[in-house]
Amino acid sequence: MTVEVTPTTFTYVYFDSAYIARIAQRLIGLFHLENHNIRIDVNETTPLAKMHIEFGDPIVINIQSGAFEDFSRPRQQSEPATTQSLGRILLKVRDRLSPEFANAPAYEDLTLVQVAIWETYCVARLSRHDIDINRQRWLYNFRNRHGFNDASDRAFEKIWSSNDLTWEQLQNISDTAIALVQ
Amino acid sequence: MRKFFPVEDLARDERFNQITMDDRMADQRTAITTDSRPSRAANRIVPSRGDASDAARGLMHGIFVGEIQALEGAGRTCWDFTTGEEAPFELKLDMARQCWDEARHVEISIKLSDWMGSEIGEYAENTVLFQAACSNDPVLRLAGVNRALEGLAIDVFTTMKEFGEVAGDQYLEFAEDWMLADEVTHVKMGSDWLRKITENDPERRKKALDFQSVVDKLFSYGGTRSESQESPIGLARRFRELAGFDDQEIDVIADLSLAALEERKAAVLEAQAAHN
Repeated sequence: MTVEVTPTTFTYVYFDSAYIARIAQRLIGLFHLENHNIRIDVNETTPLAKMHIEFGDPIVINIQSGAFEDFSRPRQQSEPATTQSLGRILLKVRDRLSPEFANAPAYEDLTLVQVAIWETYCVARLSRHDIDINRQRWLYNFRNRHGFNDASDRAFEKIWSSNDLTWEQLQNISDTAIALVQ
Repeated sequence: MRKFFPVEDLARDERFNQITMDDRMADQRTAITTDSRPSRAANRIVPSRGDASDAARGLMHGIFVGEIQALEGAGRTCWDFTTGEEAPFELKLDMARQCWDEARHVEISIKLSDWMGSEIGEYAENTVLFQAACSNDPVLRLAGVNRALEGLAIDVFTTMKEFGEVAGDQYLEFAEDWMLADEVTHVKMGSDWLRKITENDPERRKKALDFQSVVDKLFSYGGTRSESQESPIGLARRFRELAGFDDQEIDVIADLSLAALEERKAAVLEAQAAHN
């Protein structure tokens, strides 16, 4: 297993590629992804925080600099933000590699609702690995996609407390919540 | 009690990290893209944006610290000038009323931030708002704070109110609507007092309007606010009219904001060329 981070030296932000690699290695061990080579490409020209995966060898994770940033100290790296962002995307890598997620749409075909349910499922599992997660932030994100109502909150709770869901089960929880208020 | 309080001495606890406009300008990154396709170029904070809830949380925190500084600015104007000679009693009364409003807005913003999943101090506090309230002429403060700063607040609250409306977040929608109503009053106070105090002093009025233009340009830095969908915050023409801006004044701000956006895009292209 190799972990590579590019660029090795940052010019727009004060990030440390070796530090990013160390955090990634810890998470890769935690999620049993040691059999894969992984490259993390950080786009430091934008403060946005989008992330996406390209499967191959190595698996390439594209991340915009806002995903690792300490928003209270612009351009500085945040250890919690780096851990949470890498944790979320690495759990998606693990999901994508499993047969339970074989039917998940391709990255570019995911709807905003589908992105929200998957993100919720990822951060919920991260929180059980002793990684600090602001649950309310993700509840707000979920409500924005499913509506501000009880059905939406029940769906969130169900996903939040689950560990072994398939893509179909996730999708079903979401569809049910949306159908209940229509 | 001390008069004319410098921005460096504002009281904040350890949760806050303050930055200046220089810090912000030193950040060469930008969310504005040079890709002209509408789907790629749109940055407006709307629920259909992929990172909508995080973008809204960031803007909400900006509103929160802005309200604290607006409270501090209006409070200073009540105290920094002698009643009658430097500032009419009725002007100070308006500023006191504004303090009351801003204090309420701070509390509303904290509750909305909790609701959206943000923590106090999660984002940096740009102190440019209070700096606009440090002039030694009350008329310049009214132009810089009440007309430029609170004018921007009208644009921000309108953007957030519409966000809540489209997302179905009634708490956000109604709270922003109530605060928006107060901001319209604050801008109107600024417009009315500026006209009244400088009625027979065209030079002072010009100086105040020039200062407002400088502050407006600062708040438009990087194309953050304009009528283009490429800007995160829109220009709320209707509410600005209600606040006492005439069409020509709104057109000037619109042009200024658009110019700032174009300036930023040119700088992005230049930086990208240098980077490659």
